[in-house]
Amino acid sequence: MKVSYNWLKEHLPLELTAAELSTHLLAIGFEVAGHQKIGPTFSGVVVAKVVSREKHPNADKLSVCIVSDGAANWTVVCGAPNVDAGQTVAYARIGAVLPGNFKIEGRKLRGVESQGMICSRTELGLPKDVDGIWVMGEGPKLGTDVGSLLGPADDVLEVEIGTNRPDCLSHRGLARELAAYFRKELKPLGGGMIESKKESFPVAVEDREACPFYGARLIEGVTVGESPAWLKNKLELIGLRPINGVVDITNYVLHDIGQPLHAFDADKLNGARIVVRRSKNGEKLLALDHKTYDLPEGLLVIADAEKPVALAGVMGGEESAVTTATKRILLEGAFFNPAEVRKSSQKTRLRSDSSYRFERGADPESSRAAADRAAGWILQLCGGNAAKPSEATTPRVRHSPIRCSAAVINAILGSDFKDHEIKLVLGKIGFVTDNGVEFSFAAPSWRHDLFTPNDLAEEVGRFLSYENIPYRMSPFSPKTARLTPIETESRRVRVRLASMGLSEAYNYDLLSEKTLTACRLSADAQPRVANPLSEDWAVLRQSLLPGLLKNAQYNLSRAADAVRFFEVGKTYALRGKEVDEVWRVAGILLGPVLDARWQAARAPRAAFYDGKAIVEDLLEKAGAVTWAKLSEPAAGKTASDPLFHPTNSLRASINGAPVGTVGWLHPRVSRAHDLEREGAIVFDIDLDRLAEREAAAARFKPFSALPVSRRDLALTLDKTVPYGRVESVVRSCKIEELQDILLFDVYEGNNLPQGKRSLAIRLTFGRADRTLTDLEVAKAVETIVAALGKELGASLRG
Amino acid sequence: MTRADWEKSYARAESALREAGVETSADLLKLEEVRVRFMGRKGELTELLKSLKDLSIEDKRELGPKAQALKAVFDAAIEARRAALEDLGDEAALAADAIDLMLPSIRPPKGRLHPLTTTLHEIARIFQLMGYSWADGPFVEDERHNFSALNIPEDHPARDSHDTFYLQGLPLLLRTHTSTVQIRTMESQRPPLRVVCPGRVFRHEQLDATHSAVFHQVEGLVVDENIGLADLKGHLQTFLQKLLGSSTKTRFRPSYFPFTEPSTEVDVKCFFCPGTGCPSCKHTGWIEILGAGVVNPVVLKGVGYDEKKWSGFAFGIGVERVAMLLHGVSDLRDFYTNDLRFLKQFDESLL
Repeated sequence: MKVSYNWLKEHLPLELTAAELSTHLLAIGFEVAGHQKIGPTFSGVVVAKVVSREKHPNADKLSVCIVSDGAANWTVVCGAPNVDAGQTVAYARIGAVLPGNFKIEGRKLRGVESQGMICSRTELGLPKDVDGIWVMGEGPKLGTDVGSLLGPADDVLEVEIGTNRPDCLSHRGLARELAAYFRKELKPLGGGMIESKKESFPVAVEDREACPFYGARLIEGVTVGESPAWLKNKLELIGLRPINGVVDITNYVLHDIGQPLHAFDADKLNGARIVVRRSKNGEKLLALDHKTYDLPEGLLVIADAEKPVALAGVMGGEESAVTTATKRILLEGAFFNPAEVRKSSQKTRLRSDSSYRFERGADPESSRAAADRAAGWILQLCGGNAAKPSEATTPRVRHSPIRCSAAVINAILGSDFKDHEIKLVLGKIGFVTDNGVEFSFAAPSWRHDLFTPNDLAEEVGRFLSYENIPYRMSPFSPKTARLTPIETESRRVRVRLASMGLSEAYNYDLLSEKTLTACRLSADAQPRVANPLSEDWAVLRQSLLPGLLKNAQYNLSRAADAVRFFEVGKTYALRGKEVDEVWRVAGILLGPVLDARWQAARAPRAAFYDGKAIVEDLLEKAGAVTWAKLSEPAAGKTASDPLFHPTNSLRASINGAPVGTVGWLHPRVSRAHDLEREGAIVFDIDLDRLAEREAAAARFKPFSALPVSRRDLALTLDKTVPYGRVESVVRSCKIEELQDILLFDVYEGNNLPQGKRSLAIRLTFGRADRTLTDLEVAKAVETIVAALGKELGASLRG
Repeated sequence: MTRADWEKSYARAESALREAGVETSADLLKLEEVRVRFMGRKGELTELLKSLKDLSIEDKRELGPKAQALKAVFDAAIEARRAALEDLGDEAALAADAIDLMLPSIRPPKGRLHPLTTTLHEIARIFQLMGYSWADGPFVEDERHNFSALNIPEDHPARDSHDTFYLQGLPLLLRTHTSTVQIRTMESQRPPLRVVCPGRVFRHEQLDATHSAVFHQVEGLVVDENIGLADLKGHLQTFLQKLLGSSTKTRFRPSYFPFTEPSTEVDVKCFFCPGTGCPSCKHTGWIEILGAGVVNPVVLKGVGYDEKKWSGFAFGIGVERVAMLLHGVSDLRDFYTNDLRFLKQFDESLL
């Protein structure tokens, strides 16, 4: 809210500078977001008349003018094309100081002595009107200080008023708050009742709860013209556009004492009556903002005998607006229920200074006085005769007083404020009655935020200063601080992945359908946002991978040569009327695995097995993990499955349920993201499932000091036999002494039969109690080779 | 062999030795040839030593040491030359070995944690040290947990500051603040409690340098007996001094949140300027860092706590804002672009 300091001082005498006032306002909870200094930023500029104008003898574009400031004539060289004899101008004398600390001195211009300067508005720091000098028009006496014509200096503060303090949304309201804080008295409001016997239009209120008070006063014979300068100036200072005398007065009263009012052109109201009622189906209102609103049924409207003429508390209608042609006005002063006004404002998306105050809560007891005050101004500035107002009043139920004590207030604040201090503060805000043990506090009609001792504690804290409340470290609670399992797990996973060279990405949870389609994912089972910012933000994600693919694409197009990203985040799925949220971790690897550009041979590009290593690492703690190709039937599916290459991806399962996937991108997905077909390795893990499994504490197992025996086997098998089968056949021989199987070479080449490949494995045998004999080892190898031959058709190579 | 013969042989060997060129042998191979010539199985010195056995005991006693001395001189010369040649050889090898040590190192890729992760952890870690447990709640929430249980009724203008994403066809929304977790925690736990609830929140706001539709908060909640605004001040000042340095100055000023009463906003003295004002503090000398307040008893009552017995305080910290201050990031969108040139500037060492 814009506050003029001069205007504020009309209600409360204050000696502070505007900057000091801002500091005090902040201390009691009103942030000052802006401070604009108003008034002349120049001196020594006076009103003068151009007596004569001649062309400069030595310059085509300059004129030599004689100006008179009433006391003497001066020669001034002027470059403005619009200067002419007879004009009243702003003349900067020698010694004048213009904005920017520009001092005017006498000097020669192309051989002619210039004794000052004729100013443009821009040169005086004023809004520009025309090119060239400021031609002021007749009126002000020659020699008058131009600064004094601009109105007094002022400070306009942009004060932020919380939604709980609508009572401060006016100059008087804020002054009232400051008066209580500074323990000063507000200046009394002038004006009084206007006595009249003439009747106004009858008023009928159909919903008394929605409109507890409605007053309408007829004023006849008004002349609506421009407002006087002081009023226009006031409104302009706080950013309002003056419209006409009557409208300006209602706006003035709104910003002066906080009560929204409305004036109708009484001759435009059908049937000479006012009904406060609910809107009916199909009703429309052409509002003052020149837009037509279809009113939904049930909004509170002000209607004449035929149709709505205003949306109650929000905005009046264009058709009944007061114009310069208006002769009779009907002035409304009412109190509307905040929830009603808020509903109307939200349903029509129409907001105004009036709705802003009503929906936060106006003072229900000031409507009449404010309307009277406005009527007084109208009579004074627009003339006319006021009738007696018609009113519909419903007695207000007051809140019961708050019973409280200094001890309770001090407990809430943790403070040690004195009993009398507390009561003094509260007595300035409302009405305190003391019975010696506790007191009771009754809030004034303009405060809608004081119901509980906590509310009072805040008032006491604000006025006696939060700075006077001590710093206290309450003792630790007996419970020990704990992390949630998912937090423990995400920390572990984050640190593991970062140590494996993946950087962490943060993506938004909302995706577009287009993005999902590019990833072969469907939005069908996904929760959607009803009011997305744009189509890019429509669907809650089921996978972190679309975001990571975009990140990869983004960085590759900006000359990154390797991309290793992971993200820990939530994914979503619709389940009936609910939304399931699952924490997942996903990642993408692309490009060289080492930063070794000058030794390219040492830096192979990330391959499937690099991704598999990462997933294995993360799943290690979970215990028994089984791996299967994504294309094989499985007990469960993961939302991101379609994004993966079906045959070059593996699914990891624990107890039969999928826990993670790693593999190539589906060719269509890599194509859609401009990625090489084999380039990107992606993985996706269910972090919630991983978090469920607590890693067992490590137990040391002694290892044998005895030597082991190693045997290398080069096996030739069909290419189609996966290596995993080899290991399982070897293990199925159940040779107790077999300690380890290591694959150390995979060879496919010319000297092998078509469709075959060679796998070289190293078997390690040993016992804890003794060294094995060669014969024992040979026997074991024989068993294994036989089994491999029988089960897999493997033969030993040369 | 006679003594005279032996002495002749000795003189021959001695002069041969002198001319053998041990000191000038070009390499270890040549040196070995020389050694073999004299000390090999049939070497001249070997022979000379062997022939001592043919002499009389007296002669042996006299000439033996002489022969041994000659051998010792020879051995020493050979050893000295060998050492010299080895040194020379090492030098040559070292010279030949020289690689360009200034070529770039070959690094395993370095992973970075996101600056929001490290900032959030730093905030939560400090509170953990102060006895706060970690709590969390769903991102998709209902109207009650996000608003009404927090004393923000449907028709209240306070909702205007929470531009909300609603879900299509469901009575659900994306939480606009982590304060929802206050309610969830109090619904599932009995007091006393002391928790931080860090996490992601959503606002229906167009993206710009200081606004994001997705951002992060750390919510805190303490409920115990006899908790007042003084405890809030103590805890938050302790926290801010641990986060920003022990000389950090704080300022608690009144504010308004529907779910706390009294409420406060907490500023810290600008650490970019000497209090004279700069763009970071919007020329006020102070930086707004968090919002807090004494839990409104209406909220406690709403979750079934006895508001006469228990009281508490709550606070909310914007993680992005703290990260921007700590790392000098001026555009919030940088946190969500995932540009490696941005992420590379942060380290995981804070975690």
